[in-house]
Amino acid sequence: MASKEIPVIELKQVNKHFGNLHVLKNINLQIKKGEVVVVIGPSGSGKSTLCRTMNRLETIDGGEILIDGEKIPKEGKDLARLRSKVGMVFQSFNLFDHMTILDNVTLGPRDVHRTSKAEAEKEAMKLLARVGVDSQAKKVPAQLSGGQKQRVAIARALAMHPDAILFDEPTSALDPEMIGEVLAVMAELAKEGMTMVVVTHEMNFARQVADRILFMDGGEIIEENTPEEFFTNPKTERAKAFLNSISRK
Amino acid sequence: MSLSELLSEFGEQYLQAMFTTWKLTVLAFSIAFVLGIVITVMRISPVKPLRIVGNLYVQIFRNIPGAALLIFLVYALPYLNVVLSYFIAVLTTASLIPAAFCSEYLMAGINTIDAGQIEAARSLGLTFSQMVRRVVIPQALRSVVLQLTNLMVATMLTTAIASQVPLKPRDLTGLVAYINTHAVGGITAFFISAALYFATAIVIGQVGSFIDRKVRILR
Amino acid sequence: MKDKRLSAVDMLYEEPGPKAKRATAIATTISLILVALLLFYVIRLFYVNGQLQPKFWSFFTKWTTWRFLGKGLIGTIEAALAAGVLTFCIGFLFMVGRICPYRVIRAVATVLVEFTRGVPTLLFIYFFFLVIPQAGIKLNTFWRIALPVAISASGVVAEVLRSGVNAVPAGQKEAALSLGMRPSHVFLKVVFPQAIRYVIPALISELVIVVKDTTFAYVVNFPDLMQNAKVLVSNYDSMLPVYLVVAVIYILINYTLNQISAAAGRRRVRAGAPKVQNTQTV
Repeated sequence: MASKEIPVIELKQVNKHFGNLHVLKNINLQIKKGEVVVVIGPSGSGKSTLCRTMNRLETIDGGEILIDGEKIPKEGKDLARLRSKVGMVFQSFNLFDHMTILDNVTLGPRDVHRTSKAEAEKEAMKLLARVGVDSQAKKVPAQLSGGQKQRVAIARALAMHPDAILFDEPTSALDPEMIGEVLAVMAELAKEGMTMVVVTHEMNFARQVADRILFMDGGEIIEENTPEEFFTNPKTERAKAFLNSISRK
Repeated sequence: MSLSELLSEFGEQYLQAMFTTWKLTVLAFSIAFVLGIVITVMRISPVKPLRIVGNLYVQIFRNIPGAALLIFLVYALPYLNVVLSYFIAVLTTASLIPAAFCSEYLMAGINTIDAGQIEAARSLGLTFSQMVRRVVIPQALRSVVLQLTNLMVATMLTTAIASQVPLKPRDLTGLVAYINTHAVGGITAFFISAALYFATAIVIGQVGSFIDRKVRILR
Repeated sequence: MKDKRLSAVDMLYEEPGPKAKRATAIATTISLILVALLLFYVIRLFYVNGQLQPKFWSFFTKWTTWRFLGKGLIGTIEAALAAGVLTFCIGFLFMVGRICPYRVIRAVATVLVEFTRGVPTLLFIYFFFLVIPQAGIKLNTFWRIALPVAISASGVVAEVLRSGVNAVPAGQKEAALSLGMRPSHVFLKVVFPQAIRYVIPALISELVIVVKDTTFAYVVNFPDLMQNAKVLVSNYDSMLPVYLVVAVIYILINYTLNQISAAAGRRRVRAGAPKVQNTQTV
């Protein structure tokens, strides 16, 4: 049954170099509808790059990436359309500094989906309420805390009704007391069945929310496992070493 | 000459001169602004010859003295069978030079935009032109309001080169030169023009900071 | 990779795909053709109007021509240097006035600064050329150009210096005061020397404005580059070539000054100096 269903995101033999550095090595990966995949690994392992290739914010040198079975093209309107199907939440929020919170959330629906202003705003307010920042709708990003900004960024991604959302270290730029509120929103999304790829250092989140853990090192996926197995009984030595190194911290 | 004598004899000419200076300033600044945008687009385009031409334009016109350009347009161009009216020659000089500075400010404005803003626009599925219209241009323009305000004052100062050609009606500087070569206008004649320039500069500055406060991007 | 904050200019275009590459190649070709056509048109314009005839250009091969232009250039440099030094002195006084603890002095200095920034150089030149003599004061042509140019630029220099002073960390001043130095001493010995280093790039670009403004020397008959160019024009009856060459000389001088300013700016940034905005305008 699983083989018949088209994966939301599929990577086939993906390779990427930065100069001499081989940052992604023969990556093969399928992300199914409703699945939450958490990518962990030491810094420089290529996990962020992997996440960014799925929205073609990073180009690849070899292989192919498919969204809903459709290959991501190199340019043009089709690329924009496929990007709009996959949301992205960045480490540094990247809200549009010159727009209000509300406009940040409605820009995509209005410009890409041609939704009417009234309708886009109505839905945006609902989404902002869902992530708990609806009272800030008329403010600009600079007036919000980091945690609030990141929740707005999630609402902005949700407003496009994406088939999946990519989270590229969404809590790494946050003050410790704000990490929880963002992770809670993400856990809620996962529960509602959103397809998610999450690059993170938050091991508790990975353990509790992930359906599958990908452990990356040196540009390769070293281990794919259930969170249960991965954290209690990792198959590979490198994963063991990594888990030891972070538990010591 | 006393102030009242001056005003009764030259009052109307002062009004005309002020209007000439204002007209030149507004026209020249508008042209410079549009031209500055065009040149900036050339300088950031992926087309190398356009980039080279845009950069060359900026280097030529930010470094050429206004007097040299005006004299060239008025006295040298007719030898190429290109004859400009005095007004057009002054307007061209007062537009071409500020356009180079306008482009420099816009480039700096674009450079203040964080790369993450562009990635976010892309990941939402905005096309290139949507991204430029909704994110790049608004952010770049908002961050250069004060520089453009200063540029408008500088453009006004540049229009004083109108005094170097027999422009009719005269501009504020030309009128002072005229009054003092035909009568003993003295310091008062100078100060009337200076005060009018000064007041205009203050008004431009105030309007500029008002707009800046309204549109400035908090970061 | 991630820590390096790229700006929008580097990021504006994505890695081009085949279509974008083709479009860029076509646009490059077309723009090259247009540039070539424009060049051809200009050269043709010169040719058709007889401006390429050797008699209009041959005197540029003569040593005397360049010596004469060189003399004018020295006049320009002298006037610009004198005006530059004066501008600095007046600008310094204005700046001291603007940060002075006495409100009246501050207000006067502010008005003077704004006045010089809002009134065109040419108006100051006419003031010194036409108005001052009416009061019976006689200035030679050198000062008739150097003084107004200096006054005209002084307001901007005052603001540049002030931004430098404001950029000096407060701790420097506090440390010096705690040593028991008098406030005026602290300013002259500790704060100002640092401030001046921060704003050297901006001061060099101010020199560009001064050089540009000295081209009005012909108004007062001071023999600078522009004035000597006029003499050449009447001697050889060659308007277009002379003004073209002179314009190029000015552009090269100012370009060089701007390059020096930019290099000094990069050096200051490398040395960790706070960024002081370069306010140079037209």
